[in-house]
Amino acid sequence: MINIIDYVPGQTLLHRLNPVSKLALAAAIIAATFLADSYAMLLGLLALTFALAAYAGVAGRLAPLLKVLVPLAVVMLALQLVFVRTGAPIWGIVTTDGLVTGSKVCLRLLGVALPLVLVLMVTKLTDLANACVEVLHVPYRYAFTFTTALRFVPVFSQEMNAIMEAQTARGVQYDTKNPFKKLQLMLPLCVPLLVSSVGRTDATALAAEQRGFYLRTRESSYKRYPLAARDWLALACCVALIALGVAF
Amino acid sequence: MTEDAPTIIRLDDVSFKYADAVEPALDHVSLEIPEGGFVGVIGPSGAGKSTLAALLSGAIPHHYRGTLFGSTLVDGRDTCEVTLTDISRVVGSVAQDIDSQMVASAVEDEMLFGLENFGVPHDEIEARVTGALEACGVLDLRGREIATLSGGQKQKVAIAAILALRPRVLVLDEPTAALDPASSTAVFETLRDLNAEGVTVIVVEQKVALLTAYCDSVVVLSEGRVAFDGTPREVFSHADELRALGVDSPRVARVSNSLAQHGVMPPAPPCLSVEEAEALVADLVRGRTGRGADIAPFRAGSRHIPAAAARTPGAEPVVSFRDVCFAYPGSGACVTDLSFDVYPGELVGVIGQNGAGKTTLTKLLNGLLRPSSGSIRVAGLDMRDTPTSTVAAHVSTLFQNPDRQICKDTVLEEVAFGLELTGTPADEARERARAVAERFGLPLDEAPFSLSRGQRQMVALASVVVMEPEVILLDEPTSGLDYRECMTVMETVREMADRGCAVVMVCHDMEVVSDFAERLVVMADGRILGQGETPEVFADVELMGRARVEPPQIIALSTVLARDVSREFAGVSQVSGIVDLVKELVSHD
Repeated sequence: MINIIDYVPGQTLLHRLNPVSKLALAAAIIAATFLADSYAMLLGLLALTFALAAYAGVAGRLAPLLKVLVPLAVVMLALQLVFVRTGAPIWGIVTTDGLVTGSKVCLRLLGVALPLVLVLMVTKLTDLANACVEVLHVPYRYAFTFTTALRFVPVFSQEMNAIMEAQTARGVQYDTKNPFKKLQLMLPLCVPLLVSSVGRTDATALAAEQRGFYLRTRESSYKRYPLAARDWLALACCVALIALGVAF
Repeated sequence: MTEDAPTIIRLDDVSFKYADAVEPALDHVSLEIPEGGFVGVIGPSGAGKSTLAALLSGAIPHHYRGTLFGSTLVDGRDTCEVTLTDISRVVGSVAQDIDSQMVASAVEDEMLFGLENFGVPHDEIEARVTGALEACGVLDLRGREIATLSGGQKQKVAIAAILALRPRVLVLDEPTAALDPASSTAVFETLRDLNAEGVTVIVVEQKVALLTAYCDSVVVLSEGRVAFDGTPREVFSHADELRALGVDSPRVARVSNSLAQHGVMPPAPPCLSVEEAEALVADLVRGRTGRGADIAPFRAGSRHIPAAAARTPGAEPVVSFRDVCFAYPGSGACVTDLSFDVYPGELVGVIGQNGAGKTTLTKLLNGLLRPSSGSIRVAGLDMRDTPTSTVAAHVSTLFQNPDRQICKDTVLEEVAFGLELTGTPADEARERARAVAERFGLPLDEAPFSLSRGQRQMVALASVVVMEPEVILLDEPTSGLDYRECMTVMETVREMADRGCAVVMVCHDMEVVSDFAERLVVMADGRILGQGETPEVFADVELMGRARVEPPQIIALSTVLARDVSREFAGVSQVSGIVDLVKELVSHD
């Protein structure tokens, strides 16, 4: 099973950047997306994200994510069209203002979600955690919680699949076409999933403690994450991006 | 292990009761683990094996809540007085659920985690990582993501990650529960190598044949107490008492114990390996009859060769696979050209290594997957266009992990659920569910998740039985169960077969397979290598080798005996069969 936030190995500049710089880049793109108000800038930022993804060789992996995000964006657009009542009417209930705000909301949604996913695709989780601890002085326990949570996403989705298979084999109609019925059928499955995940988290906590979790300090990591020249360059780009976002 | 080896762990009259439990999990346990020992712990489920492992590794008293009496000394220090972290410097522990033991997503990071935390100097780390991976034979996995590893590989990485910390004691809780026989043996080989280098190994294990082959002492737990503690030979000479506790003995030990009981030979310590048993039987037979004695065959009447399938001639197969292919999208895994039939009333075993395609076969059979080519007919349905929920009324699956199946608040609702789903009126479903649940002695109104693992499997089994399906599909029905529970499950399944239900069983436990399956389908690399009557398939050394399956002890014994002692042993697959035959041969003159 391919998970959308799996690490994709590579040797590009984007892969070799310090994880913290990558995080800063993503944050800058997101900040700029919120600040920007012109279509050109919003589309430009989105194009930048795709260009970076293509450069790092992970553009193909963004496609399954878009399958989820685009319908969500369309729903947002529809809501804006219904609720924004100012501006000149174009057709039916659609107004010019509604169309403008709606389309910008769509672009922002994509512009916020994609950069973060991109970072996770070109960074190993442990590197991200260790770099945050070393460079940003984030307490290790938070970094560990974060990485473990992300690591458990595919584990739990596998578990959910196994549970659904078991229930399907018993005759629960997950093969139904009706999405509401399917959702209703899935709710009872939260119980077995919750039971197994609570047990699993507890076991992981124990395993970590038995391997010296509480002794870990900022200096523990075997790999070091110094900021190199390319990282400072990336950080400069971040400032520029935010400035552009404010300007346009 | 020498007599005067110093004690590394000492339990002195320890009792422990979990916070929410009524009965103590451990009850006045005293044990001494000598440094450099290789200790196996066995016992029926609920005997306190995992609790003992938790106690030895310091998780009790530091992680689990409860009341603890007595003292546990690890390397001379009371575990109540030192932190869990400090205990971990001496005792490395490998958890039962290997996925939750992992703290990283890549093998290398998993290896580094403990080393970094314990402050191992950075210039030493590289050597430690390489050394530990090499010791476990998984150096080539260093660059891999953990999610891409097989069960056996994961287990070895988990052991390597602990090993890199150079613990003096290694505690493992059922390290081979999810592994096929070949991987299980590989894990124990690794443990033996480590033990030879001086690491004390304590392993909780259900597979008795492995315990006897590798451990130098065995502790049998029952209801929280130590029932037996000694060398494998001492412990397994109490086969009858062990059986009463719900603990299996190696089949070869049963042969020698049983021979002594029948007066064929004077009481003696039990045999622990096929070689020993062969030597014993050969001596007995040759001693009385002389070599190569020709004896009239009496195999036909012998009750230990499973009766041939009670299938009426010309009966229609209830399951029929014809040239079935299936490939998982986006990965190389596939099955190719599967063709086989299963007739009503038959018990068919599917065997092969992990990754041979057995699970894919089961999913094709219960409709979770659709064949990409070829045809599957089950109970008269064409599986290409029948919804899975319709198939469910005809094919019932007992999954390896009952927790994935259970979703209702009470046992009664749970058992009735499958019937209600397939259209049985609620009243009738309740009535039938009540009858079945009572037959299994299950508490009707309890929440299934509050029951023990073995009982949850019984709930799952009851919800399969209540369906009265045409086909029962068992996916590792005995994993995680003790000997007694395992026999209950299998006897129930056999009853269902006797009533005309076809049973297809995927199982790693070759003893169970040889005891219950009439016919076998052998798989490797997504293909069926061969199929036939159980004794013949197991006796086919070449086929077993190609499928990398180890035949069960008794078959291995009867094969060598047939070769070296008397042809009569060929095909005997039960302990009683060997014993009867030896009796016959010995008393013949």
